[in-house]
Amino acid sequence: MTLRTWVRDLALGARFAVTGGRTGRLRTLLTATGVGLGVTLLLLAAALPNMLFQREVRESLRAVDGSESIDSPRPDSFLHLGRATDYRGDVVSGLLLRPEGDRPTVPPGAKAFPARGEMLVSPALRELLDSPDGDLLAKRLPYKVAGTIGEAGLIGPAELRYVAHVGFLTTDNFDGRGVRYGWSVPEEPMNAFLILLVLVASVVLLVPVLVFIATAVRFGGEQRDRRLAALRLVGADTAMTRRIAAGESLAGALLGLLVGLGLFAVAREFAGTFTIWDVNAYPSDVVPMPALAVLVLVTVPVASVVVSLFALRGVVIEPLGVVRTSTPRRRRVWWRLLLTAAGVALLAPVIGGIELSQTGIDSTQIGVGVALALVGLTTLLPWLVEAVVKRLHAGPVAWQLAVRRLQLSSGTAARAVSGIVVAATGAIALQMLFQAMESDFTQGTGADSSRAQIAIGTHAKDGDEARAMIGRFERTEGVGDVIGVVSSSVWRPGPLKKGEEFAPMAPIRVGDCASLAEFATLPSCREGDVFVLLTHGAQGAPPDSWVTRTARPGVTVALGDPHPHPDAPESRRKGPPPEWRIPAGARFVDSRPDPTGMYEYGVLATPSAIGAARLDTPDATAMVRLDPAVPDAAEHVRNTAADIDPTAWVRTLEDTQQDAQFSSVRTGILVGSTLTMLLVAASLLVTTLEQLRDRKRLLSSLVAFGTRRSTLSWSVLWQTAVPMLLGLGLAVLGGLGLGFVLLSMTAQRVRDWWVFLPVTGIGLALIAAVTLLSMPLLWRLMRADGLRTE
Amino acid sequence: MSHAPLLKATGLDKAYGPTPALAGASFALRAGEVVAVMGPSGSGKSTLLHCLAGIVRPDAGTITYDGRELTALSDTARSSLRRTDFGFVFQFGQLVPELTCVENVALPLRLNGEKRKAAEARAVEWLARLEVDDTAAKRPGEISGGQGQRVAVARALVTAPRVIFADEPTGALDSLNGERVMRLLTDASRDTGAAVVLVTHEARVAAYSDREIVVRDGAVRDAEWVA
Repeated sequence: MTLRTWVRDLALGARFAVTGGRTGRLRTLLTATGVGLGVTLLLLAAALPNMLFQREVRESLRAVDGSESIDSPRPDSFLHLGRATDYRGDVVSGLLLRPEGDRPTVPPGAKAFPARGEMLVSPALRELLDSPDGDLLAKRLPYKVAGTIGEAGLIGPAELRYVAHVGFLTTDNFDGRGVRYGWSVPEEPMNAFLILLVLVASVVLLVPVLVFIATAVRFGGEQRDRRLAALRLVGADTAMTRRIAAGESLAGALLGLLVGLGLFAVAREFAGTFTIWDVNAYPSDVVPMPALAVLVLVTVPVASVVVSLFALRGVVIEPLGVVRTSTPRRRRVWWRLLLTAAGVALLAPVIGGIELSQTGIDSTQIGVGVALALVGLTTLLPWLVEAVVKRLHAGPVAWQLAVRRLQLSSGTAARAVSGIVVAATGAIALQMLFQAMESDFTQGTGADSSRAQIAIGTHAKDGDEARAMIGRFERTEGVGDVIGVVSSSVWRPGPLKKGEEFAPMAPIRVGDCASLAEFATLPSCREGDVFVLLTHGAQGAPPDSWVTRTARPGVTVALGDPHPHPDAPESRRKGPPPEWRIPAGARFVDSRPDPTGMYEYGVLATPSAIGAARLDTPDATAMVRLDPAVPDAAEHVRNTAADIDPTAWVRTLEDTQQDAQFSSVRTGILVGSTLTMLLVAASLLVTTLEQLRDRKRLLSSLVAFGTRRSTLSWSVLWQTAVPMLLGLGLAVLGGLGLGFVLLSMTAQRVRDWWVFLPVTGIGLALIAAVTLLSMPLLWRLMRADGLRTE
Repeated sequence: MSHAPLLKATGLDKAYGPTPALAGASFALRAGEVVAVMGPSGSGKSTLLHCLAGIVRPDAGTITYDGRELTALSDTARSSLRRTDFGFVFQFGQLVPELTCVENVALPLRLNGEKRKAAEARAVEWLARLEVDDTAAKRPGEISGGQGQRVAVARALVTAPRVIFADEPTGALDSLNGERVMRLLTDASRDTGAAVVLVTHEARVAAYSDREIVVRDGAVRDAEWVA
């Protein structure tokens, strides 16, 4: 047999696919749509690494180059400070700049350096600020919008970002001085657990897509069989008809590739519109890795031919019709188990061998192992369905119709469900990994968000200004309560002792009794009281002696540094600082975590004991309890903070904090699983509809002699449910087994064996959805139109 | 044979989109009578049969079955009537491929609520009567076309219907098998007293009937019962 014969027959089949009348075209279109969806997903997956890499590149290119230390102002230098603010759950990143010369380097994405008091904004931020939704944010960014940041200054089209020229930036409140942008930011390597997660997830998400493609190229099999019989009648031999059949699938697959490329091109254009996994990207960044793209483009058509030839191996095409081998060949289980065993064998040597701190693991061995185990499980399903339905007995009519259908052709149903097996097995295994690893990646911040929800810190000129700042938070809309203290330091007066470079010091906080009680367990407190706060070494705080060498009841302390550094501002070097005597009646008290979770130490004083105005370069610290009844209360507080001091630090207090990489991997897998499940459901639905359409005449005839709709509906439900339930059962066993093996690799124990319940729930929901969605077609086909022959 | 019509249709109109299939067709059938409906391809024979059997609702006209106005019945009621009083034989695509022949024949009984074993026992009897008892355990894909049609006839008769609707029952068979099917169908229906509406375009098939009518352009041209 020559290549020419192959090409001729394949081409003939391809021609049948596109010229086969309305039904033929519809079937080809269906195949193309199915393959196209799969190809789109594969191409998107192939583009993901580059997409994420380009974000890193963009982030690096717009960062101020800090590789060179610029000690003094230059014509092209500028001071910079990065400030991000939260706005209704989104992060708005900002870069504050103050040029030092007349030729400051223009920031990436800008045409010119903005004038003082002006800012450049990203298109997404401009849109937000121009909308009523952005009113509150506009108050926080009191700069005139002078232009738009171009692509070079953004990591994604939906990023909310501004670059402002501000006058208040000094060498006291800046991040640094720069003359150029763009430098290499070292990438944080992922640890072994996350690599394992990503690896398993990739296999789990992509195998169902391949299964879906394999199912899609077989759409319309029964009608195709009839057409092939007609070809035999006019002289085609068996091998030729199979090649022609493969050609038909090939046409669908090639058309599917085009559809996939088209959908990918469309999805690429909209990459910036959708934010998935906190990621959106410029179309130019959504480029598949060439090797992976070529693999997809070659594998899909080749697979379509192979799958078609494989599907026809049990079918005898005779000139007068198609005869399925009356006793279908019994499915063998040994090679299916062998695949699974090979997968486990590859994973076994890694058991117990991965450490949390490890950043490089043998991804090929694990990836191939997981893929083999999953594919092995998938191939077990047709055998399992066949073995089980063979033993099922006839019950009510609907059940009998379904069971007999499955007994006659269990492969079609099993194939459609096999995607579910992979997705559900993977989802269960991943859930087990997540549960075991969640505690490793979720850390308690120590913060107590029931006591305060936002903490703000800012420098003040003097104590009075600090007090006034706290007062402004108290008057802000949506604030229920404010824990406010003015903080500074006290020093030991007198000359330095031998070996000392600096005078010993301790922090001092001045606030009312209620505020002070948030830092210490106070036995009692009245205006005029002073306390010496000790941590007893809690949470890595310095030893108590570090405090008591400066601050004890009855000792005098300096309210400024008695031995300032020669580089300190002139104002700090004008003679001996004022002193204050800690009252003899001051009491030692134990520190307790403040709402941010910190154990503080030093001196606590009420305003009557020491006027805040006497403190040196004080800071105002406010911890705010929000009124949950006031919408946007947090935004009002952030606006007040920005108004008081644009460089103020504002922290939202959360009790726990999840590792950012872990969170993003988890989100990514959830998004991927959802898409995969939907694809599997679509595949199942199309297969069911296809089967129904193939049985149009039979359905009409059944209706003719009075079969109830409900009987046929139940029959469809059982036909979907039986393989699905078997698939889910297999997935539960396989998923728990795979999860156990994966956890054993990292020497973790299983936290919860019931993790399969949600996945099973999703599976059952899919059964219901597919059955319900196939009802309209079923009912339409149950009209008598199907009996018409003219 | 009673002279009162068991099934009577008057002035039936039916169109599929812009194409008229029936235009004022009238028809009547006495109990136990075998009537052949003849006519060229596309003349409206099958549509008339579908209307008479309550499968399709006509656009206009009335159909009365055993004193009941068929067109006024709900879809559920008509389905129920088809299960209990009517039997069907079509040209092809009527046997459920995944069920065995005996299960196929038992199907209408089971749809009527009969127990499986009892239904299958009666099905086996009918398969024997139609001389295809050796096919009982086989699936339709494993038997010949002639055998399949006889199984279909057994299925049509198993519920002891009062009317059998047969639409080109021999259309896919060779003449020998066709005649065998027709002989068995008409003999069995006469034995059970079932009337038969036989749609065919073959004169040799129509020869098995008691009476012939011709449908042309959607209208019945010569019917003794046309009012």
